[in-house]
This record gives sequence, C-alpha cells and structure tokens, in this order.
Amino acid sequence: MYHLNGLRWTLGIFTALFLVFLYGPFVVMTILSFQQGPEGGPQFPIIEWSTFWYQHVLSIAEPSRVAPLPIGEALIRSLTLAFATMVVSTLLGTLSAQAFRQNFKGSGVVFYLIVLGMMVPGVLLGLGMALVADQFDIARTWWGTAFVLHVVYTFPFSFLVMLAIFNRFDKSLEEASWMLGVDPVKTFRKITFPMIFPGVLSSMLFAFTLSYDEFPRTLFTGGSEATMPIAIYGTFAVEIHPNLFAFGVLTTLASFALLTIYGVLMALSVRRAKIQSSGLQEEIA
Amino acid sequence: MSEFDLELVRLSKTYPGGAVAVREFDLQVKQGEFVSFVGPSGCGKTTTLRMIAGLESVTSGHIKIRGEDVTTVPTEKRPTSTIFQNYAIFPHMTVSQNIEFGLKVRNLATNVIDRKVGEILEKLDLSEVASAKEESLSGGQKQRLALARSLVIEPEILLLDEPLGALDANLRKSIQEELKLLQRSLNITFVFVTHAQSEALSLSDRVVVMNAGAVEQISEPLELYTRPQTPFTARFIGSNLIFPGKLQSTAEGNASVHTSTGQFEGIPVFEAGTLSKGADASVVVPSEFVDVTVSSDRQETSSPIGLEGTLIDIDFVGRDAHLSIALKDETPLRLQSDATVMKSRNLVPGEAVDLRWQTNRATVVSGHT
Ligand SMILES: Nc1ncnc2c1ncn2[C@@H]1O[C@H](COP(=O)(O)OP(=O)(O)O)[C@@H](O)[C@H]1O
Ligand SMILES: [Mg+2]
Repeated sequence: MYHLNGLRWTLGIFTALFLVFLYGPFVVMTILSFQQGPEGGPQFPIIEWSTFWYQHVLSIAEPSRVAPLPIGEALIRSLTLAFATMVVSTLLGTLSAQAFRQNFKGSGVVFYLIVLGMMVPGVLLGLGMALVADQFDIARTWWGTAFVLHVVYTFPFSFLVMLAIFNRFDKSLEEASWMLGVDPVKTFRKITFPMIFPGVLSSMLFAFTLSYDEFPRTLFTGGSEATMPIAIYGTFAVEIHPNLFAFGVLTTLASFALLTIYGVLMALSVRRAKIQSSGLQEEIA
Repeated sequence: MSEFDLELVRLSKTYPGGAVAVREFDLQVKQGEFVSFVGPSGCGKTTTLRMIAGLESVTSGHIKIRGEDVTTVPTEKRPTSTIFQNYAIFPHMTVSQNIEFGLKVRNLATNVIDRKVGEILEKLDLSEVASAKEESLSGGQKQRLALARSLVIEPEILLLDEPLGALDANLRKSIQEELKLLQRSLNITFVFVTHAQSEALSLSDRVVVMNAGAVEQISEPLELYTRPQTPFTARFIGSNLIFPGKLQSTAEGNASVHTSTGQFEGIPVFEAGTLSKGADASVVVPSEFVDVTVSSDRQETSSPIGLEGTLIDIDFVGRDAHLSIALKDETPLRLQSDATVMKSRNLVPGEAVDLRWQTNRATVVSGHT
C-alpha cells in the first residue's frame, strides 16, 4: 500500500509537470498578448491590460512605430498549402491503403518506402530536394517543390491511419453490395466510404496540421515567398513585440475550433460504429 | 438453354498460399432444387459457394448458370445472390434502404421499387421495422432482412452460407421451416451451406457431402442416411454402426465381409465397381434400424441375432435414447434409438443384450476411414 502511494505521487508529479510544460507556454503567451501597446514589450510585468496587440494584428490599431506582422500573404499561402496537402495526402493514403488490402508481391518493400517519408529527417530531405531542384533548374516555390515534400511527409500518416481503418473494415459489406448487382465504383461511394469516413477525417486533420506548421522542408524548398512558420521565424531576427503572441493566441483558437469540428464529426460516426459493434457482440453471444 | 440451373465442372481452388480448398467438384442442380453442402469445418464449403458467387477466383474448372459459362463473370453481373454468415447488413442504412439498394441500380421506376420493397417487407414480416437500422434488429430480423435484400432482386440462384449459424436453437428450428416454405413458394434454386448434418437432411432435396475439398457423396437425404457410399459419409451422417473388415465375396450384389466383430453375410452392395475381393471394406448399419432387447427375454420365435453384447449405459434425450454397449469382443458401440421403443424394452445397464437388424438395412462401403 505504501509503495502504491509512492508510485501515485510520482505519477502525479510527473503528470503535473507534463501539463505545465504543455500548457505553460500557451498561458504565458496569452497573458503577454494583453500587454499594453505600443510601448509594452514581450516581458513581465504587465504594464496595463489592453487589447492593443490584437488590434495591431488585425490592422485596426492606430499606426505606430511597430511594423505590422508580415503574415497576411504568408497565412494565405500556408492555408492553401495545408489544404492542398490535406486533399492529396488523404486521397493517396486512402488509395494506397486500399491497395494494401490484398497481399501483393513486394508489398513489404512498398510499405517501408512509403513510411520512409515520415522517418527521414526533414532538414536532410529539404536540403536534398533543394539541391536536386537547382541541379535541374527547377524553381523552388511553396506550391511546387515544397508542396511535393509536404505530401511526401504527410502521406505516410494518412496511409497508416487508413490502413488501420481498413484492417477493421468488414469486407463482406462490400461483397454484399456487389452481389446485389452494384458495381465496385458505386459500392465504394455508397458502402465503403461512409464506413471509412472517421479515418478519412483523421487523415485530413493529420495532414492539415502537419503541413500547416511544417518548417525544415519548407525552409529549404519554399523559395522566396514565405509560409507562416517561415515568416514568423523571420520576425525573430528583428525585434519581438507582443503582436506575435496575439497572433499565436488567435491561431491556437482557430486550431481548437478545427479540433472541435473534428471531435463532433468523429463522435457522430464513432457512436454509429459503437452501436454497430455492440450489435455484433449480441449476435455472437 | 440448359436443363440445369447450376453446373459445376471439375471446379477446383488452390489458394495462393498453396492450400487446396476444393478439388474437382462436379455438380448439376436443377431449377428450383434445394441443394445443401455439408461437411466438417474447413472442408471447402464456403470456398465453393464463394466461387459460385464470383467472390473467389477459380483455379481450374467451370461454373455454368443456365448453360452459360460464368466462370470469369464478376459478382455484380451474376444472377446469384448470397446470404452471408454474418448477414452483412449495411449498418448506415435503414431496413428499407438496405432492401432498396440493389433495386436502385436496376433502372426501375420509383413506384415499382416502392411496391417491390413493400411486398418483400410484408412477406418477411419486416414492415414494422422498415425504418430501423441494424443496431435495433434482433438476430431473426437481421436474418430475414438479409433474405429480403437478396430475394428482392429476383436472383436465379440463392446462395446461403450457414445462414442459421448465429441463431439460437429454437429460432433456428422455426426459421428452417420458413426457409423451406419460402423456397417452395418462390421456386428459386437454393444452394445451402451448413456443417450441421441434421439441417441439411431436413431441408434439402439433395445433399452434397464434402470432405477435405472433395465430394464424398451426392444423394437425397434419405438415401444418404440409409445408403452411405463411403465410410466418411457413414460416420458424418446420422448415427451408424461401422464395422471395418475385409471383403470376402460379392455375389449378385450381396457381400460377405469378415470383421473382427464377426462375419457379416448377404449385405447389399451399392457401389460394386469399387469393391474387390480381399479389399478393405466396412459394414454400415444405421442405428435406427437396430433393435436392442434383453438377452434373457430371448424366445424361440425371435429373429436371428446380429450381435451380442452388454449394455453399459442408457440415456434418454428427448425423443432419442442413447445407448452405450460393449460387444462380446469388448468393442464399444454407441447407438441412437427411439426413446419410446427403448423404454418398453426395460433395459438395465450391466445386462446382456441382443442387437438385431434386417440384413438388407445394412450396407457395404469400401475402405476403413
Ligand atoms: N483466404 C484464404 N486463404 C488461404 N486459405 C484459405 C482461405 N480461405 C479458406 N482457406 C482454406 O481453405 C480450406 C477450406 O475453407 P472453407 O472453404 O472456408 O471451409 P468451410 O467453409 O467448409 O469451413 C480451409 O483449409 C481453409 O483454411
Ligand atoms: Mg465456412
């Protein structure tokens, strides 16, 4: 009993530290984002609470000596890139996982080749890609070379998620559809897709968030037009103002909104799956 | 136009791993026939059914439906429909949507679809759950929905893979009856897979007994029961006494066989071609035809005795009596008999008993196993 208590304390402290490290930066960032402006800097104490830096980010503050964050276009680029990566990566992931449902010759090798995309260090991959692009006179752009590397990076995640989903998928549902005279394409649309939808959703979330804050690959291959993470990094080189923190809070809130949508959609389809599997257990019993 | 609805010609299947699941399966099924595949688990029943449905590729041989070779025709273009063991109900659709699904791809007018769905819901007693989803259906309802979904597209052949396996015993019995009536009234060819021999015997017009991927025997249920052609069938179907021995002579379709339990004379032979003198052969006696009496009650007028032994145990299970008997040479026997008749014999364990049957009820099959 005594040992158990000791263990409990250790685990408790560990968890508390974990939470502090996880949320601490965000809390500090949030507090500092309400610093007085434009004179207040990114450090304690708070001179006076204000929403100046939020107005600054949204370009509705009085003009001041602090230049606006160079993020307007970068944000659009990052969102576009993340969206395209999400679509392509999920599509590829679903199709290749579908291919892996049958055992084909060399499937083991292909599996590791795909997974390699998320194992190889980003800096190496980015550097390599930059060298290759220069060698062949290919312009380095965020929508070209960087986009390709983003897909190489997120595709394995989508692939693994979809593989797990297909592993639990009851193949006889598709077979039942075929035997009713429905061709494979329509069967995929009407039967397979609704069943694998939770996986598609997870794959989309993975791909989007991974691409959105991807740094090393983009740094080397993105060319002169910066994406969000690169643009923010660029501002560190000059002087940091709390407007960066205000922006951080806003994007984090946007991420939470995204996660909430994901959670709601997921809960809906998981509830369906749960009912389904409990029905199955009843059948077996 | 062929006279057969379904023909299997030397149909064989070897799985990529090298497992031979089905070998040289020959079968001809007439329109409206109810055929069962029966055999122990792993003997290739499902594989054969899936090849007929087009869900499994054929290694060699042919499948013909109404004379047309469909060996390479994809599932969705075959006039067959399948009831899966787990029913494979589409969980994201209601009962009606499940049934409509196969009709909607057939270019039918909406009112025709609605009428057909309504009719089949009515026929299979599903009208009340028409807008329910799989999760709220009982086992029996799921089973009927699977049937409705398959029947509404009016297949020429319905394939059923152990469709009653997931149901409890009582429900099983009543659905067996319904299934038989349904098949009669629709006059659709049924190919029914089961590992329960009693189910096959009570439902089918003909039964295919399978063993290790090969057909052992194709017969009508009664014949299968009374005239097994192989020791495997004799063991698998019904409850038979089997005495392995050597064939001594066959004269005019009557065999004489020497076994360790004794000499059997004048036993009808039904597959004379495969039997030769001195070869291994087994005498099979369906236990229903064996009468058991107490030896001390023996009378002058009693018919000749088949075998003598000692009753070890007797159990009454419903309408059946299970007897365990040790023969003179200690060979143990298990016998299933009619409970009422056996009760009237006043059998007591430990007593000497006589076993009798009419000679022509027995049969000879080649081999021992
Ligand atoms: N997909 C498969 N791959 C390899 N072997 C299989 C496969 N499906 C079945 N088998 C093998 O084929 C044999 C017949 O199986 P099956 O047709 O399912 O038998 P049954 O339905 O009579 O129980 C078994 O030995 C089984 O292990
Ligand atoms: Mg099976």
